[in-house]
Amino acid sequence: FLGAGGGNDIQWCFSQVKGAVDDDVAEADIISTVEFNHSGELLATGDKGGRVVIFQQEQENKTQPHSRGEYNVYSTFQSHEPEFDYLKSLEIEEKINKIRWLPQKNAAQFLLSTNDKTIKLWKISERDKRPEGYNLKEEDGRYRDPTTVTTLRVPVFRPMDLMVEASPRRIFANAHTYHINSISINSDYETYLSADDLRINLWHLEITDRSFNIVDIKPANMEELTEVITAAEFHPNSCSTFVYSSSKGTIRLCDMRASALCDRHSKLFEEPEDPSNRSFFSEIISSISDVKFSHSGRYMMTRDYLSVKIWDLNMENRPVETYQVHEYLRSKLCSLYENDCIFDKFECCWNGSDRQVGFLPLCTSDYSLIVMTGSYNNFFRMFDRNTKRDITLEASRENNKPRTVLKPRKVCASGKRKKDEISVDSLDFNKKILHTAWHPKENIIAVATTNNLYIFQDKMN
Amino acid sequence: MLGKGGKRKFDEHEDGLEGKVVSPTDGPSKVSYTLQRQTIFNISLMKLYNHRPLTEPSLQKTVLINNMLRRIQEELKQEGSLRPMFVAASQPADPLSDSFHEAQPAFSHLASPPLLPTDFVSTMPLESCLTPASLLEDDTFCTSLAVQHDGPTKPPPPALQPVKDSFSSALDEIEELCPAPTSAEAVAAESAADDSKAQPSESNIHKPEGLPESRTAESKLMDPLPGNFEITASTGFLTDLTLDDILFADIDTSMYDFDPCTSATGAASKMAPVSADELLKTLAPYSSQPVTPNQPFKMDLTELDHIMEVLVGS
Repeated sequence: FLGAGGGNDIQWCFSQVKGAVDDDVAEADIISTVEFNHSGELLATGDKGGRVVIFQQEQENKTQPHSRGEYNVYSTFQSHEPEFDYLKSLEIEEKINKIRWLPQKNAAQFLLSTNDKTIKLWKISERDKRPEGYNLKEEDGRYRDPTTVTTLRVPVFRPMDLMVEASPRRIFANAHTYHINSISINSDYETYLSADDLRINLWHLEITDRSFNIVDIKPANMEELTEVITAAEFHPNSCSTFVYSSSKGTIRLCDMRASALCDRHSKLFEEPEDPSNRSFFSEIISSISDVKFSHSGRYMMTRDYLSVKIWDLNMENRPVETYQVHEYLRSKLCSLYENDCIFDKFECCWNGSDRQVGFLPLCTSDYSLIVMTGSYNNFFRMFDRNTKRDITLEASRENNKPRTVLKPRKVCASGKRKKDEISVDSLDFNKKILHTAWHPKENIIAVATTNNLYIFQDKMN
Repeated sequence: MLGKGGKRKFDEHEDGLEGKVVSPTDGPSKVSYTLQRQTIFNISLMKLYNHRPLTEPSLQKTVLINNMLRRIQEELKQEGSLRPMFVAASQPADPLSDSFHEAQPAFSHLASPPLLPTDFVSTMPLESCLTPASLLEDDTFCTSLAVQHDGPTKPPPPALQPVKDSFSSALDEIEELCPAPTSAEAVAAESAADDSKAQPSESNIHKPEGLPESRTAESKLMDPLPGNFEITASTGFLTDLTLDDILFADIDTSMYDFDPCTSATGAASKMAPVSADELLKTLAPYSSQPVTPNQPFKMDLTELDHIMEVLVGS
């Protein structure tokens, strides 16, 4: 079992599953992003139909002290609509590419959601009272006949059923020629960046009619384009530092204090290619699909097609750790290229930042100890940096009872298949887990299959 | 594991097709490498054409496929330039993977200018002020800046030049002989003579003859297969090149018909484990002859033989 040291291995149990049961997946229901807010109380998902669904964790139930609160639907709204680009005669998809929560400052919650072209700031607020007793209006809003008004009264607030409202507060549009792949909120909580294939822009949360370009890798002659930006993120503590990854497997760290246009990187992280693994597909599988800083900012994690790599920001020439997610696919790359699976963009995430997770931090004040990422056949993987152990689990409705520990899975690469193992050739490549999220404070994880959201938590004793 | 000779060869080919670079020192492996490369080349071309027309194709995917095609193209060209030096097969070195290695640095050289457009930046006061993103929308802004500076934004990489020159002169001769598809014939010429083996050391000597050749012939091959990354009203790729006329005239897609993996709509639910094997089975009949599974290349073989004699003679 996966452990975080001190004999406190995490035992993952099924908790909930959200979404349609039937196998026939409506395209609009395909989940495209999953994100906990900063407290973990809210869990947002975005889908291909442009909708955002927010789940809220129930307050801990005093009668059931051993189970954490369940997540129930809190708010659903249509964030983005499909649009048509008349200039290019092409549709702009409404699919939500990323959601990022802002830290909570008042009673309302704020999040940024983006599709390929436009970022929106949404305010989610609760209303549980309404004014009643107007003098001139009936309760349903109709105006009263003035002649019937004989007394004056002061309207009062009376409780009502909780209503959660989502309203778009800012729309950040027309700044991206190419498809937005990342948004990241700065540690100053005033600015954020948005990255597309060739450019990264810096915004102020209050200002929508202007954004500043901080990275531009578009060549003067587009025919010479050989590399694109695949992900970008601000450093968690340093508000002038950000990184961006590329389709060639490089990560560049930039400092906005160095110059206005950060085309010259401060650091370039790249691992030399292993000649024994050279193939036609080396470049494609080296393309980085996600980059995430550790909680302290000392490390960062990147996901490429077959592996997860942990980098120390002080060492550019190679990662400090590499974890193989599904090495058995290396001999299948040609077929995966043919059916486009090789272009799947898997994300990765760290465990929560609270010390509940582990007792032996690798670096003091950095509790980024466990890495989670998805694979095919609805499998997802976790790697423990301390014990070097890993585990493969499956998100499926079968055999899933609450509080039953998930059974580890194993894929048999070749040769004789042992009992309970699954052979590579039986893997379902349509069932891919691209998006996972870890509660910031507790051992609760959200795992998205194609159109379902699974919530797992550790078994509390 | 002992088995029928045919079966062993079958396994060898299976390893060869999927992913790995096969050492081409022995005959069957080299052929399988070439088959593998040709298969990937064809798959890549089909991918560029099969995207959904409604929305913009993913630029990342397009760039990666394009890079794949360029690498294979470059490899084929380098094989073409090596051809006059071919000797019998007893080479300890690995010429094909050498050329594969060489292809990479050649392109990384090309790739670097776009990422560090220092010239681009220095002519404008961008160092001192932020560029509003709104200005980036205007492509003329970018191209006019590119015109302004004197230094070359994209210096022709010297490593590439000598390799192309001998080849481009050969292409010129081919063009004189027959005005139509020069590049296709060149490709076919390489494939046709593929049974001869390369000698890497001599190829290195062959290269540094840096003649400033005109770009007319080489540009036809070197210009990227997808001509344009900017999306236009049409599919946007392969706009005005001679190469695509040949390559798309008649693609042999028979090898794709049997395999559920190859549906144009994209991901198959299960990867048929035999897909690579079956591909090889269909391609096996071709391995005995010059590896040219595509129709347009076959028609000019006799002419190509003549051309090769001319090249070797010169």
